[in-house]
This record gives sequence, C-alpha cells and structure tokens, in this order.
Amino acid sequence: MATVSLHGLTKKFTGMAAVDDLRLEIKDGEFVSLLGPSGCGKTTTLRLVAGFLQPDAGEIRVNDQVISSAAILIPPERRNMSMIFQSYAIWPHMTVFQNVAYGLKFKKLAAREVEEKTERLLRVVHLDALKARYPAELSGGQQQRVALARALVVEPQTLLLDEPLSNLDANLREEMRFEIRRLHEEFGITTIYVTHDQAEAMVTSDRIVVLNKGRMVQVGTPSEIFDQPRTRFVAEFIGKTNLLAGRLENANAVSLGPDFRIAVANGSFAASTGEVSVCIRPHNIALTADESEARAMASAGFNLFSGVLERRIYFGDAVDYTIALAVPPVSLRVVSPPSRQFDKGQRVFALAHPDQCVVVRDD
Amino acid sequence: MPASQTETIGKIGARTWSAPWFKDPTLPVWVGTAAFLVFLMLFPLGSIFRASLWDETGFGVGRYLEVFTNAAFLKAIWNTVVISFWVGVISVVIGALLAWLVTRTDLPWKKSIRALVMASFVTPPFLGAFAWTLLAGPNAGTLNKLYRSITGAEDALFNVFTMAGLIFVMALYSFPYVFSMVANVCELISSDLEDAAEILGANKWQTAWTVTMPLALPALVGGFILAFLHSLSLFGAPAILGLPAGIHTITTQIWTLFQYPPRLDMAAAFSVPLLLATMVLIAVQKKILGRRGFSTVGGKGGQKRLIRLGWGRVPVLLLVLGILSLSVFLPYWILLKAALSKAWAMPLTWDNFTLKNFAFAFFEYGDTQRAIFNTFKLGILTATIGTLVATLIAYITNRNLFRGARYLSFFALAPLVIPGIVLAVGLFIAYTQPPLVLYGTIWILFVAYLTKEMPIGYSQAESTFKSIHPELEDASRIIGANRLISLKDVTAPLARSGLIAAWSFIFIGVIRELSASILLFAPASKVVSVVIFDLKEEGQVGVISVLGILLLVASFVVILAMHWFAGRDVVATRE
Repeated sequence: MATVSLHGLTKKFTGMAAVDDLRLEIKDGEFVSLLGPSGCGKTTTLRLVAGFLQPDAGEIRVNDQVISSAAILIPPERRNMSMIFQSYAIWPHMTVFQNVAYGLKFKKLAAREVEEKTERLLRVVHLDALKARYPAELSGGQQQRVALARALVVEPQTLLLDEPLSNLDANLREEMRFEIRRLHEEFGITTIYVTHDQAEAMVTSDRIVVLNKGRMVQVGTPSEIFDQPRTRFVAEFIGKTNLLAGRLENANAVSLGPDFRIAVANGSFAASTGEVSVCIRPHNIALTADESEARAMASAGFNLFSGVLERRIYFGDAVDYTIALAVPPVSLRVVSPPSRQFDKGQRVFALAHPDQCVVVRDD
Repeated sequence: MPASQTETIGKIGARTWSAPWFKDPTLPVWVGTAAFLVFLMLFPLGSIFRASLWDETGFGVGRYLEVFTNAAFLKAIWNTVVISFWVGVISVVIGALLAWLVTRTDLPWKKSIRALVMASFVTPPFLGAFAWTLLAGPNAGTLNKLYRSITGAEDALFNVFTMAGLIFVMALYSFPYVFSMVANVCELISSDLEDAAEILGANKWQTAWTVTMPLALPALVGGFILAFLHSLSLFGAPAILGLPAGIHTITTQIWTLFQYPPRLDMAAAFSVPLLLATMVLIAVQKKILGRRGFSTVGGKGGQKRLIRLGWGRVPVLLLVLGILSLSVFLPYWILLKAALSKAWAMPLTWDNFTLKNFAFAFFEYGDTQRAIFNTFKLGILTATIGTLVATLIAYITNRNLFRGARYLSFFALAPLVIPGIVLAVGLFIAYTQPPLVLYGTIWILFVAYLTKEMPIGYSQAESTFKSIHPELEDASRIIGANRLISLKDVTAPLARSGLIAAWSFIFIGVIRELSASILLFAPASKVVSVVIFDLKEEGQVGVISVLGILLLVASFVVILAMHWFAGRDVVATRE
C-alpha cells in the first residue's frame, strides 16, 4: 500500500502550464478523484504519476520516496502501479486469460501461481467463464472488467484510472461505478481516478479534487464539494445550480439589489466583503402560490423571492420550473416534486433556507 | 504495507534517471536510423544541384539556360506535358467510370473487376508497352493482321508507335491510380447525403451535380494529378513506343544524355525542372485533397443503396471487360503466346509450340540467369531492409521519440516527388566518386530501390502504428514491461499484417523498377527489367515474354501470399 503526494507539481506543454503547482497528499488506501472539464490537466496529472511524463517542476513521492521530479524519473514499469485506460487498452491478440496474466510474468512466479492468481481475479470480476475468448468477442463492459482484472492481478501499490467509463453506455456506466467502488473496498488500494463526470466522482470517491486550467480549485469530500462549493466554477461544474450575483455585506448577508438582501450560510471564508455569487441548488427551493404561507415561511427565516412562472418541464419524477423574478431581475430554476404543480404564467413565491444559500467567489 | 515493495521503490529512488541514454537505452537505434534516412535522401539530391551548377570552371547557371533554349529539350518538355495531360484525362474517364460502377451500381462480377484493375496496376508499364508493340505494331501487329485479313485492306488499323498510341498505352497503366482514389470516396459518400438533397426537392441530376460531384471532385482532380505525375516519370513505355517514332520525352532525353558521350551535368540540369514540376503538382494535390474532400466525406459511410443498371447491366459489363481486356487480357495473352511460340506472329499450333524460350531464359542464357538472380536478391533485400527502416522511422515519428521527430516523415516521403530517373541521375553522380563508390555493383541499385520505395513502406508502417493505440503499449509498461519488451509483446504482433503488406509492396515495386535501373546498372548487375529493355533491341520477343511472365507471376504470388497472411491475421485478432 502506498501514500502518494504531489509537491508543487508542474508540467508545461509548449510554454503553457497544463498542470500548475499541484499540491496534494493522498492517504494510504484512499480513493481520490481528479474532476474537471476536458483540458483541465487531470489526465496529464495522472500520466505524470504513472511516469509517462516527466514534470518540469515539483515532485511526486510515493511513501516519501521521490519517484518523479525534473531530475528524477523512475520508469513506469518500476513504480508498482497499475493503470486503467480510457480505451481499455486490452491487447486484441491475446485471450482474456493472457491479458490478465501478462503482468505476472514480470513477478518471477511459478506457472501454477500465475494461473491461480489469474483465475482468482477472473472470478472476482465475473469473467472466469470467458477466459479463452479474444477481446473482440467481448462487450464493452466485459472488456472493462478485463482491464480491471489485468490492473489488479499484479497487486499494485497504487491504481490509476483514466476516465475508464467514458466509452460505456449510460446503464453500464452506472453499474461499473458501483463495481469500481466495490473492488476498491475489497482490495483497499490507493486509487487516483480521473473523470469529467461529477456523478462518477461522487459515487466512487473518498475525496474529490476539482481542477480547472491546470490548477486545483477545491478539495473535499463529495458532500463538501456539492453542498459547499467555494467558487462559481465548482458550483456550476458540480450539478445544476442558480447563481445570483451580489455583494457580501457581512458573513451572513448578501445584497442582491438596492433594497433586496438575503441571509446566507457562513460566507466568512470569502475574506473581505465584496462581489460574490450566491449558489442555490434548484432542488433546495420550495415553491408556493399561497402568499400567506410564503409570508409565514419568510418570517421563520426563509429567503423569499417572488415572480412569474415562465416555463415548466415535466420529468415524471420531478418538475423543472423557470421563474422570472421581479427582484433581482433574473430567472430562477426550481426542481420540485410533482405532488404540487403550478401553471405557466402563474404568480409564485420561491423560498430558500439560508443554510442552502451558499456564498461562492466569482473567480 | 509489504516490506519488499517498499524496498523496490526505495532502491530505485536512490538512482538518478536523468541522462537520456540511461532513461532509454534504445535511443541510439532511433537516432542512428533517423540520421541514415536523412543522408539517404539528401546526398543524391544535393549531388544533382551541385553537378548542375558547378563544374571545373566554377559556378554557373548556363546549363539551365541551355535546357530552356535548346530546341530538342524544349520539344521533349512539350511532348511530356501533352502526353501526361492526355494520359491524365483518359485515366480520369476510365478510372472514375469503373470506380463508380464498381462501388455504386449493381454491376455483376465486381470482385473480379477489382482484381483485374489490380492486375493492370501491377503490370509494369514497360511490359504493357512491349505487349502492345506485338498487338498493334503497324506491320506484324496481331490486331492489324486480323484487320487486314478481315477487310482485305493494305494499311494498318492501329499504329502504336505514335503519340496517340503512346498516350493510349500509358493511360491503360495509369488509370488504376484514379480508380483507387475515386472508389475510396464513392464508398464513403453515403446514400443519406444524396437522400438529404432529394428530400429537399432536388431531382436525380441536381443531386448528382450539387452533392455527389462536389464530394467526388477532389478525388477526380487528385487522381488526374496522380496519373499525370505517373506518366511524367515513366521511362520504359515512352522509350519503347516513342523513340522508334522519334518522340522524345523528358525521361528519354535524360537517358540519351547518359549515352556516349555522357553529359551528366546536362542530365542533372534537365532533372531539376522535372523535380520542381513534380513538387508543385504534389503540393497542389495535397491542398485539394486536404481541404474538404475526404475528411467531410469521412465517417462510417452510412447505408448505401446500389443504383440499378436494369437492362444496361450486360452491355455495361461488356464495356468494362472490353476496357480491361486492353490492359490485361490482350497483353497477357500475347505475352503467353509469344513465350510459347517458335515464331510469335504465327498462330499457336502444335508445330509452332515450344518451351525453348523458357529453357533459354532460365538455363542457357547467362545474362538472363544472372538478371533473374539479381532481381530477386534485390527484391528480397530491399523489401526486408526497407521494411525495417520504414518501421523504425514510422515508430519514431508516430511516438514522437525525440524533438523534431515529426520532420522525419518529410524525408521518408521525399522520394514521392523524385521521379525514378532523376533519382538515378543523383545517385549516379553521388556514388561514382569517392568517398562512396557503389557504381558497378548491385549496391547502387539497392540504394536506389531503398530510396524510391521508402514512401510506400513508410506510409504503410505509419498507418499501421497509427491504428495501434499508444495506450496498448502504456498498458504493458505500467505493469512491468520496459519499452523493448512492450514493442516485442504488444506492438510487433499487432503491426504484423501491416508490415507484411509493406514488405510486399516494396518487393513488387523493386522487381518491376526500370527508370532508375536503366541508368545505374553495370554489366554484372543487370536486372530483369533492364534485360527486357536490352533484348528489345535484339528483337528477342520470346525471351522477353518469358521474363515478363516471370515478373507478373512473382508479383501475383506475393500479393496472394499477402492476402492470405493478412486475412489470417485479421481473423486471429478480430480487429
């Protein structure tokens, strides 16, 4: 098992920093996701950890030994790591069994031991019945399982996954997320997982690192990242949200217009007062058409917005409304259960609890 | 954590891997190959420019002035342009028609037609030209004799020793270039694109004019340029058909400058315009094909509906077979007949039948025996070394192994713009003087073939590596294999069929090569193509036919073997 730490890790491509001063401590047995849009440097970071790329500055340590720096580069094959690739990279000229067993030939094991280990892993990923097949005879999900088995059979200290589910269809993707988490719980290998899909990161990870333009934006548990985003970028990238521009007046109040102020969850982290945005998730807003009910909730501490229902989309399990607010003059999205429905053109009141009104920085 | 694993990391961590040789012990192999390639390309080209610009008296552009003022040279340039233009036009007509029929209509026997087009492609043009002298020579030509016996006329119906005859024969062996380009595009234009136009109200002709034509146009223009270039660089056909009629082209003129008294400097100066014209045309072709043509047509190609020819199926089939009989059936038939006859112009009866030509070529005549041996030796040698070098270069450029590696592809593809005879002029000048004297041995031919065939080998290897995802190699490295082991276990097996194809293409290219060989051979290093050309002067029709059949058979055997290997490979990897 291993701890992995990145110290000021930097990699430039033609002068542009693809990875910029990354600092991260990954604990032994931890599952960490690198999450961000394409071009944010997440795959570059992973290839730096794997040793396919050499950093321009900073270093990577495994168990406090430097394995990568501008001066040192231990080749990939000597890092006790495994990797799962976006393309699966299953060798088409080898059978399932040969693919999985390949990495063991560098371990100087007896043939019987190779066979036992391979068979065991094939059972773990439910492929034991298909071991004589060639990859082209497997479905996408089965190929993915071969990749998992091949990576795990060598008992790596660190497991790297590079968008492993992006080529699968939606149903299979959901199934494989749980599979990856299950295997992590079974083997407890330190894991770094690269993805642009926030749902994937949420399901699998102990911690999520959000990257943008080569820099770390926020690090935290899935619920911290989702419920307490610190910047507009994180708030928008992780799930649908409303962002209302305003001024932070004190740690608990943001003014959204000349005479309109709302109460917010602790905004003290945003340092001084100034321009900020307030992030309110659509499903954290309650709707009502009853003015007295709205007034009652407002006096109980809820923030109250009023407006006209502009658009309504029915999803079966939820209804997605867009409301044109009077103050501030913006549109607000609200997702509410279908038990109570409103019509287009109707005057409605939207209510949000201060704890769910999160201040985010504008950068 | 297990103690042993920590130790591994610890031990390695103490060592420094910063020196490039240390990081990658295979680096000298890559750099060495790259240097060899650059030298191979630059040395002959440099020699041409040097010989055309400098002599004992110093620098001068007088030779270039002479090229463009000498009436004979100007005439040769003009002839070349006229011939190549018409060859291009006829090739486009035949090639595009056949390609469209084979890909978009319900014409029967498509596989056989493709095979026959392939056969036209493989037939060396000089052999085709020779066969056509037997078919349509003004006096003894078989077709003319047939015409006279039917009509009772005294004159000849066809005379192949004319400008028209030359253009006709050269087009027969240039149209496959257009065919393959247009067929590729036609296969990619899906019926959806045409349906989309029709649903918006266009009729069949408007659709053809506004959708299908513009999509196919880059391929037509590109094919025209390719056919034009092909005929520009041909030596054998114009020498066999044009010279007896006093028609000179640039290539035959360069060859004449090598006859006694040799004027190497003039040959060099005359090569430069040909070289520049080729470069410009290739650049134009690249631009046309690169801009919108293929990339937008690309994709899966969707569903294709075949156009029904209806009652026209049989007449169209006969037309197609008629065209292909001109490039394949008739020439092959006359070669076979000549090879098996005592007197080639007589009907092939039992009295006229003989195997003496075969016995003579294979067992009795020293010149042909040695030439056959040389040809196959050079073919195998060049194909093997060429595939190896092309593979290494393609691996370097594809995986970008060191800074500037991408520019190597420029050198590997450079011979595309060097006509064979120009290359030979450069090699002759480069390798007849110290420090490297190769002239007189087969090694100068080896260098010529290696250079000339590098583009085909390289592009085969390059597309092979492109199709092998680099992650396949990364996957083996991360679980313990170093770069060389990864190459051996993963990349090489996957590249196998592509490399077999590269080997085959080089081999076929080498055994049919004439335009460079004709300047570079020495008495001991004659090859089959050169012997055929020599024997032509002596009128040894039977022996020539035997040698021609030998070349064709060897080519077809290699192609079949390649299909067999590649086919098997596809089944095994199921890619």
